Amino acid sequence: MKTSLFAIAAILLVLAGSTMLFKIDEAEQAIIVQFGEPIGDVIDEPGLKVKLPWQNVRYFDKRLLVWDGDVTQIPTLGREFILVDTTARWRISDPLKFLTSVRDERGARTRLDDIIDSVVRDMVSSTELEEIVRSRDWDVDLSTIDDPALAERQDLDLQTRPKLGRQLLEQEILTRARRLMPELGIELDDVRIKRVNYISSVRQQVERRMIAERQSIAERFRAEGQGRSQEILGDMERELREIRSEASREAEEIRGNADAEATRIYGQAYSADAEFYSFFRTLESYRALGENSTLMLSADSDFFRYLQRAQPE
Amino acid sequence: MSQTIELGKRRPGPQSGWQSGPRSGPPELGEVLSKLRGGGGGGKFLGALLLIFAIWGAFTAFYTVQPEERAVIKRFGAVVGIADPGLHFKLPFGIDQIQFVATERVLKQEFGFRSEGTGEGGRTRYSSDQFEDESLMLTGDLNMIDVEWVVQYRIEDPMKFLYQMREPTRTLRDISESVMRRVVGNRLGSDVLTVGRVEIQSQARDEIQTSMAHYDSGIHIITVEMQDVVPPPAVQPAFNEVNEARQERERMINEAQKRVNQEIPRVEGEALRIVAEAQGYAAERVNRALGESARFSAVLAEYRQAPEVTRARLYLETLNEVLPTIGQVLVVQDGQIGPLPLLDINRSSRANPEDAR
Repeated sequence: MKTSLFAIAAILLVLAGSTMLFKIDEAEQAIIVQFGEPIGDVIDEPGLKVKLPWQNVRYFDKRLLVWDGDVTQIPTLGREFILVDTTARWRISDPLKFLTSVRDERGARTRLDDIIDSVVRDMVSSTELEEIVRSRDWDVDLSTIDDPALAERQDLDLQTRPKLGRQLLEQEILTRARRLMPELGIELDDVRIKRVNYISSVRQQVERRMIAERQSIAERFRAEGQGRSQEILGDMERELREIRSEASREAEEIRGNADAEATRIYGQAYSADAEFYSFFRTLESYRALGENSTLMLSADSDFFRYLQRAQPE
Repeated sequence: MSQTIELGKRRPGPQSGWQSGPRSGPPELGEVLSKLRGGGGGGKFLGALLLIFAIWGAFTAFYTVQPEERAVIKRFGAVVGIADPGLHFKLPFGIDQIQFVATERVLKQEFGFRSEGTGEGGRTRYSSDQFEDESLMLTGDLNMIDVEWVVQYRIEDPMKFLYQMREPTRTLRDISESVMRRVVGNRLGSDVLTVGRVEIQSQARDEIQTSMAHYDSGIHIITVEMQDVVPPPAVQPAFNEVNEARQERERMINEAQKRVNQEIPRVEGEALRIVAEAQGYAAERVNRALGESARFSAVLAEYRQAPEVTRARLYLETLNEVLPTIGQVLVVQDGQIGPLPLLDINRSSRANPEDAR
């Protein structure tokens, strides 16, 4: 009898505990709902709480939540199709409104999808691609660019700073998306463009363009190599000719001077007796006659004089 | 589990406290078992139930915090404290819940690649998968670039880490990607590939840190390290071609330079030779002139002593020397037709065979 009473008491206690006590986690806030109607204020203090057995508790996360958008294909103002992936952070700021307007997180997500996607779409399609990729502090010093392909790009404006740029674009998206949030009990903390990429067909085009750019640079390098090589060889040729002609000029000068000197010496010596010189020099040249020479002597030359007559005339 | 047993011995309190029945002091295990086996009676059943309760309680009343961790203690969902490394006690039966957060460990997130543990020789193995979605981005000149990077971070505040954001790590990934793309998008591709790395890293780190601080996420970014930064795969061969062409340019220039280095010294030597030869000629010419004129002057001096005799002597001596070596001597007389061959014995004997013909 005593034990069964004890057991009944225990069962009642457990029953009461399980229906009347509830726990709120540090990360949560809750609303007590009675027959579908929210009762009392939002409970955001964590710990063990009490309710009536017929009341339900709806829990909501108190923390900052992540919203991750689908990758969407959007044309920019310049008609390039790009893939945009956005991410956002939000929190349930007003659980009561949240409960009545979107009911739960899944409902909230679909609403966020609709709102953020459409705002992003609006913003991206009215913005140039440069504006989305670059930031407001875009600053390129054209004089420092050493990539020749860049200077030749016609489709590109490297100097103009974006009116908005990535950060302010995100800011604008956030501002616009936020307008619709209070009635959902949601506070949107930020919206960020996570990824921007070309769609695959554009990507291939861009790749082809990049390849062509690189190839033209490669060609330029090769041509430069040939040019420089020719220049060096030309310089060499000039230098060689200079050296050679200089040498032969100097050689001729030396020879000329020597000839002049010799002439002077000969002249000085021979002018002492010009007649004897020609006699002497003639005899000298006779010595140079060789085997193949034919000598014609007059019969009355000095050589034969004594063959005809031994007496002096 | 030896810890548990020791713990039970040291703290017999809960067990004895829950013990019912007439006896005091902790029950012997054997007795309890025999009670159980004995079955029947609610008292024995209750006793067994209490024992199970006691063991469960003992097992759930302590926890160990590793040196690199901090433990957040929650009682009925509310945080009541943070425990430092060591052995700690808590309320059992899941009343106190513990969440461990590795606050001292340096954690990292990889973008564009994944390491898969350590392979042979202690080298890190990397996944062969391509994470192009993560790594491919646009540069300020609207080209594409493939950037791989790592974010190293530490959980600075376990409370904030657990209760400020639901998915702090995922947020960190999202923000890292967003920030890296913004920073890279604000630069030229060539800049990102070459000189911009250090600046991009520090800029990205600061921006990610600012964002994470804005969310109050309790995450501290230690560093952002860029890994492979390359053009997209399809374009890489073209980039390599540029490098090759650059090498080729250098090679051509070097070859030309080499030829110059070969030719110039050689021709310079040649030039010196030409000049030297000319100098040799000059010396020879002048010397010969000096010699000949000296000889002439000497002979002339003697000649002047006896001009007639010397003249005749020189003439005859010369003919004497010249005639034997000369091939043919013809004597011509005035009024006679045709020259008369003279002293031509050798020659005619040599010419005989021809005459016979």
